[in-house]
Amino acid sequence: MNRDPHAIALNNAIAEINKAYPDIKNSFIFTKNGTLLTGDQTTDQKTVNNIQESFENLKETATAIGNLESFTITTKNGKLTLSTIQDMHLLLATNKNADKNHIHSITHVIIPTILKTIETLTPTQPQITPPKQLIVDTLTGFFDRDSVQIDTETLLDWNKNNNDPNAQVKIETSSGKSTLCEAKEISDHRVKGKNMIRIPQKLCKTLEINKGDTVKVEPAP
Amino acid sequence: MTEENIETEETENKLEELQQKLQELKDQEGIIGYILRGTKTASIDLKDPKRIIDYAMLSSAAFEESHNMAEALQMGEPQKILIESEETKLLAMNINNHRLSIFMEKTVNHNKLYKNLK
Repeated sequence: MNRDPHAIALNNAIAEINKAYPDIKNSFIFTKNGTLLTGDQTTDQKTVNNIQESFENLKETATAIGNLESFTITTKNGKLTLSTIQDMHLLLATNKNADKNHIHSITHVIIPTILKTIETLTPTQPQITPPKQLIVDTLTGFFDRDSVQIDTETLLDWNKNNNDPNAQVKIETSSGKSTLCEAKEISDHRVKGKNMIRIPQKLCKTLEINKGDTVKVEPAP
Repeated sequence: MTEENIETEETENKLEELQQKLQELKDQEGIIGYILRGTKTASIDLKDPKRIIDYAMLSSAAFEESHNMAEALQMGEPQKILIESEETKLLAMNINNHRLSIFMEKTVNHNKLYKNLK
């Protein structure tokens, strides 16, 4: 079972709902991709795995009619109801006497409210970006002396949570020398997508590196 | 006439009646089509024949996975299955040992259909 704070909070919420509504026999929350986020504590792992596998298969084949929004399976003993809440799927197994209004309030009021509250309360985790090993290419000519050039994709990836257009990066050489400088997109299409960093010649001298050397590059802290 | 023969004739009559209902149903507004599958035969009527394979796979998965989920949770055999996407829905059920899947637009009253067919 997922142990992130979001899942734990949901798990607790589901446990409380199950206590308050004894007509609910089992409950599970799946992510948009079909991964099980949390489920009730009374269901054994084998059952959970079976449910997850069936849910994934059904979700995949249901693309024939579009994105799966909900399903209801009515049996002699009860109902299995799947509802889409925000970007998650809630699967509830209820017995045949379950009150329709109660189930509706759970799927349309209680769980969405809990999800909203959890989202508001869960602090955004600081994103730790692993450094990249890039191959040095020297920049000569009329280029900005203090800025380096990196692949657009790398810059976009590093700047996902930062709208600053003048991204700063930290460059560290294998001998331990390091510097902070501004990073721009690689302008020469021949060098793009080759895992390279273009560093002005003067800066290369300062860092005591040459073309073809490898340096460690990461967003500036 | 033996008891077995009477039973077979009754089943055949019920099936004929069902097929007649389905013929009427397919011209109703919002109905995309249906798949009726028995142990030996199957009849398919879909407005867009290009979707036959996708719809047949979904129909089969609906019965298979519903059975698996209901069995895993000890809920008994599924009697009615409803799968909904943004614009389309599938109503599936077992009738006279036949698996019936009806594809329709979301605006169609599936409860009315179910009552009419069962």
